[in-house]
Amino acid sequence: MKSPFAPPRPIHLGTPWRWLLPVLLVLLFLAVLLWLPWQARQMESNERQEQLIADTLWVEQTIRLELTRNEDALDALRADLVANSLSGAAVQERLAQMLKNGHELQRVLWLDARGRALASSPPGLPAGPALAPDSGGAAQLARDTGNGRYSDPAPATAHGGALMNYHLPIFSGEHYLGSLVATYNLKTLLDETVPWWFAQDNAISLLADDKIVAQRAAAGMGRGVYTHKRPLDLPGASIVLATDSVKSAPRLLPNLLVGSVILLALGLLLSLGALWRDVARRLAAEDALRQQMAFRTAMENSLVTGLRARDLEGRVTYVNPAFCQIVGLPAEELVGKVPPMAYWAPEVMDEYQQRFASVLAGTATPQFETVFQRSDGQRIPVLIFEAPLIGSDGRQTGWMGSILDISDRKRAEDLNRQQQEKLQASARLATMGEISSMLAHELNQPLAAISSYTTGALNVLGRAVGSGAPLDAALLKPALEQASAQAQRAGQIIRSVHEFVKKREPERQQISVQNLVDGIRALIELQARKFFVAIQTHIPPDLPPVSADRMMLEQVLLNLTRNAIEAMAGVAPARRILRIAAAFENGQVTVSVIDRGHGIEPDVAERLFSPFFSTKAEGMGMGLSICRSAIEFHGGTLSHSANPEGGTIFKFALPGQPTPA
Amino acid sequence: MLHIVDDEEVIRDSLAWLAQSRAINARGYASAHAFLEQAGAPFDAEGDCVLLDVRMPGLNGVAVFDQLSARGLTARLPVIFLTGHGDVPMAVDTLKRGAFDFFEKPFNDNDLMDRVEQALAVSRQAGEAAAVQARLATLSTREREVLDLILAGKMNKVVADKLGISMRTVEVHRAHIFDKMQVKTAVELAGLLK
Repeated sequence: MKSPFAPPRPIHLGTPWRWLLPVLLVLLFLAVLLWLPWQARQMESNERQEQLIADTLWVEQTIRLELTRNEDALDALRADLVANSLSGAAVQERLAQMLKNGHELQRVLWLDARGRALASSPPGLPAGPALAPDSGGAAQLARDTGNGRYSDPAPATAHGGALMNYHLPIFSGEHYLGSLVATYNLKTLLDETVPWWFAQDNAISLLADDKIVAQRAAAGMGRGVYTHKRPLDLPGASIVLATDSVKSAPRLLPNLLVGSVILLALGLLLSLGALWRDVARRLAAEDALRQQMAFRTAMENSLVTGLRARDLEGRVTYVNPAFCQIVGLPAEELVGKVPPMAYWAPEVMDEYQQRFASVLAGTATPQFETVFQRSDGQRIPVLIFEAPLIGSDGRQTGWMGSILDISDRKRAEDLNRQQQEKLQASARLATMGEISSMLAHELNQPLAAISSYTTGALNVLGRAVGSGAPLDAALLKPALEQASAQAQRAGQIIRSVHEFVKKREPERQQISVQNLVDGIRALIELQARKFFVAIQTHIPPDLPPVSADRMMLEQVLLNLTRNAIEAMAGVAPARRILRIAAAFENGQVTVSVIDRGHGIEPDVAERLFSPFFSTKAEGMGMGLSICRSAIEFHGGTLSHSANPEGGTIFKFALPGQPTPA
Repeated sequence: MLHIVDDEEVIRDSLAWLAQSRAINARGYASAHAFLEQAGAPFDAEGDCVLLDVRMPGLNGVAVFDQLSARGLTARLPVIFLTGHGDVPMAVDTLKRGAFDFFEKPFNDNDLMDRVEQALAVSRQAGEAAAVQARLATLSTREREVLDLILAGKMNKVVADKLGISMRTVEVHRAHIFDKMQVKTAVELAGLLK
């Protein structure tokens, strides 16, 4: 049958592909995240390196320019000296001028061909060899080539800074006249030519043979990360300009942006993980729910109790297979239908409508019995339990009813009752049978004997008549006497059986009706409960007692009450009331047994007290007959009349004996 | 002789009276034991019949019949059962086992007596047959041989030749046979042994 719930379909918790893509993306994202700062750092590093190289070139240019300017000045001076147009004082003046213009120059000398100083600035020439020994080589080379040459830098002196000489030979034609020697303090050279902003960021060194001969490190030593070396390319001297940035390599995560991106990425990962966990939990919950659903569906399908859900308008929203089986209709023909339903039996339609109206009004009988009609027309007694259907928001959305097919139970009850009745009937029959078989046995003997005697006598008579011989009376007499005796015996037997059935002599005693009823109330209630009959008694307290055999009166009363109760088996439960009313009328105590049952038809009433007349299938027809005999035995009367409220009144009257006042 | 076995005296008396009215001798027995003690001792030449009440205290009718059967007396003592209502199947069963008849109470008295007379006749014949057999048993072997040849219709001479004895001897045997079989002529003998 069709279930209102989605059929449980198998799920696979994540095929590999479904998870591969996000994982790959996350991995890629992480790789990019790692690569980006590295790339940024690389770029920054390259940029810095290039900047350094450019700056270093610039510094080199500046130094070279300065040196070239001084070379040009010396060259001009040499030209003047060759022309010999200058006095000593003028030379001195020019030298001083040079020194003043170039702070990097520590000393400018004019040497003659033999190396003696002719003029010097600053004045106060050092005596003796004016040059450091290693500078001699450069001087000689300059003299040989005729061009200016630089010497290798001399180590630093106490004055500070290493010194380097520039030798410019002076020739007049082929005649060597001497030379001009400019001594540079390399430290000062750096100080003068390197701009402050460059010195701020870099340690600048001059190297000769990889040894530092001058250095400017205003901002501290370089870190060796960004370095550049540039040879100054001076004739005669191999000096290298080396720069070393004080800046360290750029940090891996230098900026907030990358940091926050990574933070966000981490957050993303975290939330992704959380999402995944949530999804997994949700899937597990769904799975559990689905299993629960399957379990419930299996449970509903296995039930023999019918289930039917209706909304507040009475529309059927759900039925289980058991319900379909009970009413014999498929679920498709039930779900979505509104009353009147196909399984309502026409004869109880009013009851359904009434109940349905109360359902619409929001009140349903929680438990009731009714009858359904199957599709094949068969009636099915059912027991229905109704309970409100509460939605998840706590509001009532309809009614849930469970329907029990109680045909089996009813059948069993009916069978039980029938068997009970049969048992009672057969018990009665058995008693009758016992009595009759006893009678038959006891009577057979004398009757057989009588028959034999008389047959024999007839034989004798016949023979005598046939032969014409005289009849021998003496022969016949004993046989006929015997026959007579046996006939009397038969009569005695019948009398004794009567005595046996009667069992005992009635025993009269003073009995109050209240006492009589109380004595058998339990028995009456036992019968009444079986047929759901209520008992009411109305017995005046001042009622006089009657003189009667208690057991006989009890039998009469039980018989009448049983008849009354059984007469009401077919009427509505509300009418099933048995009343026992006593009264004192005209010197007689009357007891009425009043039922509200089916009443008595006139033709039945005529024969009511006849023996062996019964309206009951299993009745012996002895009850009322015996009752009347018993009442008449006590000098009373038993009568019946129709109950104005419907039903019958049986009333017996017995002579009462009013208590003397 | 009609043997009435019933525990009820009035029944025994009335049936005996009935039997006498039909000229049948009758005798009552108050119990099965009383009857069994005297059963067949002696048999009545006029024939015997037993009326057995099925229901009796102590040994019931069927048990009595069974004992009679066991003693081989049912041929000489035909049994008629008197049954009450409900005993019919049991009675039918005994009928199959050789009871003469059964009557369900109440019964027609003269019908019963008719059957009693028939039973007496059967018993009488059975008694006669038994008597002949008893007489035959007294014959010697040679006498039996002679008897067989006489019954075959042979003359004395032929018998003598066949048996290799003298005519005279045959005549002696013949006289002995007639004497022992209590007959006077060969025709009578043949009728007896028919």
